[in-house]
Amino acid sequence: MDSRHTPPPAERLDDRLAALKLELAAFEPPPSTDRAIAVATERASRKRSRRALAPRFLERWFAWPVALAASIGLVAVAVRQMPADEIVSAPTAAASIASARFMPVVPVAEIERSSDAYVVPARVPRMALAQFGLPVNPARAGEAIDTELLIRPDGAVLALRFVN
Amino acid sequence: MDDPVPHPTPALTERTAASDAALAARLACGEPGALDPLYRRHKGSVYRFALMWSGSAAVAADVTQDVFVHLLTRATDYDAARGPLSPWLLGIARNFVRRRTGTREVAEFDDADLAPPHDAATPESALLARIELEALRRAIAALPPHYRDVLVLVELAERSYAEVAAICGLELNTVRSRLFRARALLARWLALDAEVPGARSSAA
Repeated sequence: MDSRHTPPPAERLDDRLAALKLELAAFEPPPSTDRAIAVATERASRKRSRRALAPRFLERWFAWPVALAASIGLVAVAVRQMPADEIVSAPTAAASIASARFMPVVPVAEIERSSDAYVVPARVPRMALAQFGLPVNPARAGEAIDTELLIRPDGAVLALRFVN
Repeated sequence: MDDPVPHPTPALTERTAASDAALAARLACGEPGALDPLYRRHKGSVYRFALMWSGSAAVAADVTQDVFVHLLTRATDYDAARGPLSPWLLGIARNFVRRRTGTREVAEFDDADLAPPHDAATPESALLARIELEALRRAIAALPPHYRDVLVLVELAERSYAEVAAICGLELNTVRSRLFRARALLARWLALDAEVPGARSSAA
């Protein structure tokens, strides 16, 4: 056998591996795989967007009960410091004079953020005041009391004050 | 003792590796758009590895998709401090291709999938080259999986021994010895033109 014309097995193997490697270089995934990856990426982006919205929704969910509880406490403290007759006295139709200050029913920081809030007059049943921990004269529970409410454009009440 | 084959040059430059790490970090931070450049950069090597390992274009396409969806959803698993992204992806591809091919010891080549155009001087030489490559593919497919891993990664995917050791979870010396044995088996089968054990007959 003439060894000059028949390379050793290892060399032949290297040649064939090199040829196979060259051939392999032309292979790429089919377009269907490209599309599948693009779809998966798009789906992940949408999922991420939805997830990004979720915490804000949850914040709102939990913020309101907490704010309500805090405001009830604040109103209760503020009203208990007021003279009793100021609360139970009948409104004077002739002179609507706003009482001292608004009592916040949400955290003060939220009121500060609400630059577009406005004041509306409202008659509130005295019984409703009991929900805020205010003392109510049972004999006059059926009456309404004049108040002014500080509300946001979306209708959320931020603070209230009694009108004498 | 010298290495049985020259140590291949790592395919990744430091710059590419750094860029891969940055993209993977963005992906881990929930930025799916970072997948696109990584996919474009690595899809070929992942696909070709799976193709050579499984012998099936369909399996290779599925594995490629699996690997990049895995990267998309589990990018936090990649630790850039432990090495470049490319070997990590090939390691995942290796797991997926083994899973997809099940317990089959010998890959079954789909002739239609693996018949790219061949530039040859004459039809006879083209046919001869075709037959030789076909024989090599079948011989690689007949290798035991642990030899096939190392041979495909080193010889065809041009991975360094260190990378292969990381991908397959082996000692460096084990990589060397497995490659040596894999090459010896191939050389014997091809030189003697022997019947490759377990390979499907190519005649249809």
